[in-house]
Amino acid sequence: MRALKGVSFELMPGEVHALLGENGAGKSTLIKVITGAHAPDEGVLTIGEEQLRSLTPAHARALGIACIYQQPALFPDLTVAENIGLRLKKPAPFSVVKRAAQREKAIELLKRVGAEISPDAEVHELSMPEQQLVEIACALGSGARIVIMDEPTASLTQKEQHLLFGVVRDLRANGVGVVYISHRLEEIFALADRVTVLRDGESVGTHAVKDLTESAMIKLMVGREVATLYPPAESEPGEVVLSLRGITCAEGGVHGVDLEVRAGEILGMAGLVGAGRTELARVLFGITPADSGEIHLKGEKVSIATPRDAISQGIAYVPEDRRRHGVILEMPIAHNITMAVHPVLFPGTWLRKKRESEMAKDFIRDLGIKAYGPEAPGGNLSGGNQQKVSVSRWLATKPKLLILDEPTQGVDVGAKSEIHRIIRELAKEGLAVLMISSDLPEVLGMSDRIAVMRGGTVTAVLPGGADAHDVMSAALGQNGKEVA
Amino acid sequence: MSDTKSISLKSILARHEVVLLLVIAVEIVLFSTLGRRFLDSTNVSNIFRHSVEIGLLALAMTPVILTGGIDLSVGSMMGLCAVSFGMLVNEAGLSPMVAGLIAIAIGIAGGGLNALLIARMKLPPLIVTLGTFSLFRGLAEALTRGSKSYSGFSKSFLELGNGEVAGVPTQVWIFLVVAAGVYLLVHHTTFGRSFRAIGYSPEGSRYAGIPVPRNISLTYILAGAISGLAAVILVARLGEARANAGIGYELLAITAVVLGGTSIFGGSGTVCGTLLGYIAVAILGNGLSRITAYQLFDQPIASIARELSGMLTGLLLIVALAVTPLARILATRRSRRQH
Amino acid sequence: MMRKYSREFTVAGALALLFISLGIFAPNFYEAQPLLSRFTSQMPALVAAIGITLVIITRQIDISIGAQFSMCAVVAGIVAAAGMPLGVAVLAAIGTGIVMGAFNGLLVAWLGLPSIVVTLATMVTWNEALRLWQQGRLMPLPDGIQWFGISQAAGQGIVIGASVTLLLAFAWAMKNLATGRYVYATGTDAEAARLAGINPKLTTFGVFVLMGALAGIAAVLNMVQSPQVQPNAGDGLELKVIAAAVVGGVAITGGRGNLWGVLLGLLLLANVNPALTHFHQPPYWERAIQGLVILLAVVADGLRRGKK
Repeated sequence: MRALKGVSFELMPGEVHALLGENGAGKSTLIKVITGAHAPDEGVLTIGEEQLRSLTPAHARALGIACIYQQPALFPDLTVAENIGLRLKKPAPFSVVKRAAQREKAIELLKRVGAEISPDAEVHELSMPEQQLVEIACALGSGARIVIMDEPTASLTQKEQHLLFGVVRDLRANGVGVVYISHRLEEIFALADRVTVLRDGESVGTHAVKDLTESAMIKLMVGREVATLYPPAESEPGEVVLSLRGITCAEGGVHGVDLEVRAGEILGMAGLVGAGRTELARVLFGITPADSGEIHLKGEKVSIATPRDAISQGIAYVPEDRRRHGVILEMPIAHNITMAVHPVLFPGTWLRKKRESEMAKDFIRDLGIKAYGPEAPGGNLSGGNQQKVSVSRWLATKPKLLILDEPTQGVDVGAKSEIHRIIRELAKEGLAVLMISSDLPEVLGMSDRIAVMRGGTVTAVLPGGADAHDVMSAALGQNGKEVA
Repeated sequence: MSDTKSISLKSILARHEVVLLLVIAVEIVLFSTLGRRFLDSTNVSNIFRHSVEIGLLALAMTPVILTGGIDLSVGSMMGLCAVSFGMLVNEAGLSPMVAGLIAIAIGIAGGGLNALLIARMKLPPLIVTLGTFSLFRGLAEALTRGSKSYSGFSKSFLELGNGEVAGVPTQVWIFLVVAAGVYLLVHHTTFGRSFRAIGYSPEGSRYAGIPVPRNISLTYILAGAISGLAAVILVARLGEARANAGIGYELLAITAVVLGGTSIFGGSGTVCGTLLGYIAVAILGNGLSRITAYQLFDQPIASIARELSGMLTGLLLIVALAVTPLARILATRRSRRQH
Repeated sequence: MMRKYSREFTVAGALALLFISLGIFAPNFYEAQPLLSRFTSQMPALVAAIGITLVIITRQIDISIGAQFSMCAVVAGIVAAAGMPLGVAVLAAIGTGIVMGAFNGLLVAWLGLPSIVVTLATMVTWNEALRLWQQGRLMPLPDGIQWFGISQAAGQGIVIGASVTLLLAFAWAMKNLATGRYVYATGTDAEAARLAGINPKLTTFGVFVLMGALAGIAAVLNMVQSPQVQPNAGDGLELKVIAAAVVGGVAITGGRGNLWGVLLGLLLLANVNPALTHFHQPPYWERAIQGLVILLAVVADGLRRGKK
């Protein structure tokens, strides 16, 4: 498996086994193997008495493996009871659904989970945490022996978290094995018996939780040789290009953000998934405009209500979701590259195909995009080349501030270093770069300064020489750094 | 996978227009041999003279469908504009020129309503235009009190629908101008480029800074304007303005567009394809009506031309749609068997 | 409960308002015989509306139902005119509907073609084929067909009874049969449904077949109400029932809606014309008013979605 290398993992009945690791360490891939969504290239899965090379989702379900994701897979327009009924066992097509019995079962399961939810409520009326509890009820109801929980407390209140812990302990007492993925070390200490730490697709060790300290855990997560060389900064940063004060956006879950980015510098933005980094980028780019706070670009106060506003102010955003927002796969590279500069490149709305082709060829050459020509559809390219196209589009706007959101995610090693080189070049030329990344070595290696976000606000700004431990601690909210 | 995808996509695109050209060629050959005076200049003139309105609606529909939307109200819009035109000329005594411009303005207003609901309020185009389909036709019927029709237009106005310039029917010239305009809009302006982008990925377009609501609005407003123009031309040809003008035309327009290779999901399609689709359908209807020497179902084909062309058009549409998925399914079956 | 069924309550409220105003200002609306006849004539549309509701809930559309209706009516008429018993005519109609529905279903469910275009194509094809076949001829029916060969009152009773029974049966099935769940699930998220073990393609196909069968039944229920069969009896049916569904709260995006709302929507839209007549207003406002009601319903849907 590309994302996992020789990982061994063991779960005992009646155990809560935590799985720890930073973004991209391989946790989701391991889970996909266990639930049958992915077949491993090598290795053996032993479930109970059975030894298997691989699983299908149906087989996994039959063996009693249930997984509760952050995004509940419920049907929004059916009631809770109906959803539970559908999930417990697929009813035969023309069977009459025993509504009363179904409702009873739902009530029973909801009670076990401690959820105060009416079985007749339609799922779309429930909050996300409530939907999660319904998912857990489904898992309980289907008699799972192995329950995997992927960041279950991410959106729960304190009270709900306590309920959840109770459920987890309940499961453990009943001999169910729980795989518990979480970034919250305090939870791991509270709930888990053992913890396995993954790093770069490998298992770094399995320990009894009581044998570890916080610090030791973090060290396991990040400690590594920085084998890759990153292009170093060659110049001093210049004037402040972007200045944020008190930026708040309820819809994006961002509040009270203060930040500064200078010309010629790469400000890395670290933090866990859900900390608010992409949300902040979306505020700056006008997708979800700020409710309050001030944005200053090169000293001038600006108001950004739409992406067009952002672009005309000189802000460019290379989105995280490359295939959905970064590149339109069905359209040729040339069209993608020029998409943000129509008013400038094609004054009077008349398309100038020659000009467009020239521009595309320039970028293809300068960024080393591997394609048979500017007319190749975006969908033909590899992830790395698609990312280069995405970057080209935004470079064409000649921005003052370039926001990169996970610039090398899903990109092969070769393209990765090319992109890093390009980013450093851009900074050298005076561009202010805000680089959101969950790749710790990348953040450490590329950034001149590192801002860390947690819970929707910036909790720390570290100097360039900071080490992984500091960054991860700030991201996790440990070591006394203020938490919003 | 990616390489084959690009090759097949390209070849399919090429295939569609080529296949249509072939179909048109076959039609021409068939009808000129089996039919009477098919290639006569009068007949060729008539083919287009009598179908210009549908061609215009097909042109109007193309940008709408490219953005992934649909407009079922264009036919009804024609009714409303036709009736308004009639009223303005007959009862308000306005000149056909002024009345015509106002009729087009009414089309723009109607398109604006669609645009407001679809682009700004983000309501589903199918149902919104179903509602305006009823509303516009209803307003036309109300304005004419259900029965009134307007006629008695000036000779010079009727020339628009029945005369010719340089041997080509007057309205066909107008059609060509509109066709050129829509072609340039779709294939040579940033608007046209954005229509495709929006059709492929409305979210992706937004992230690229494209003003999505504004551009979608443009497609519906343009559709309304062209419907108004088509209405005036229809009135000029028939010499009569009635509330039932344009009934069923929206479906014919959609047929022409889809036959022309434009995907109903948006993003891909060409104005050329729409024109070819329109021509194929227009020729079919006329050609069949010229075959008197042969019979089908115990009747000379000419007398059942309308029904036959309707059925064939429907079947043609299904075949045109089914070819790609069928090919894909057969290909997967074949490759699966090889493993 | 109010919140969950807010659309249905609103439509019911509008309907009540209409009926009460009629009661006050135009009480002869409630004259027994014409009222009964009007109601009976709306029953075929109700039966067809059941089918279209299922189709829309699975996130598809079928604009060929008018053509299906007409075709089934003609087939039934021919069978009846040939002297066969009514029962055979009924079966013939249903069979025809099933074949046409299956054709649509095949193209949409298994070839994955967009239903709007497929049913556009089949609509045009069936309509023109019918025109070719019947050339607009009215087909007189033998005695014993109209009103099932019994009295008008009894015949009306049967038509209403059959339609209401179907409505109740399907309403029950949608809520209580597992298959009903499949329909909602497929319309909400076909992929999630597939992962849950449901077969979305089969569900979609089945829904189109059901639509065809119901079109056939509706055609028969219509046929027995007059002494002859009109070959274009189904004209405009698709608009009528789709509008009724939308007004009744069935989301065009699939996954939600119920038959009671559709019934209310149908009653509301179908009574615009009679209401106009009895209020001594000109009838040519009917379509405009219907269009307005549809738009109001869509806007209300949009506002409700936005609030969530």
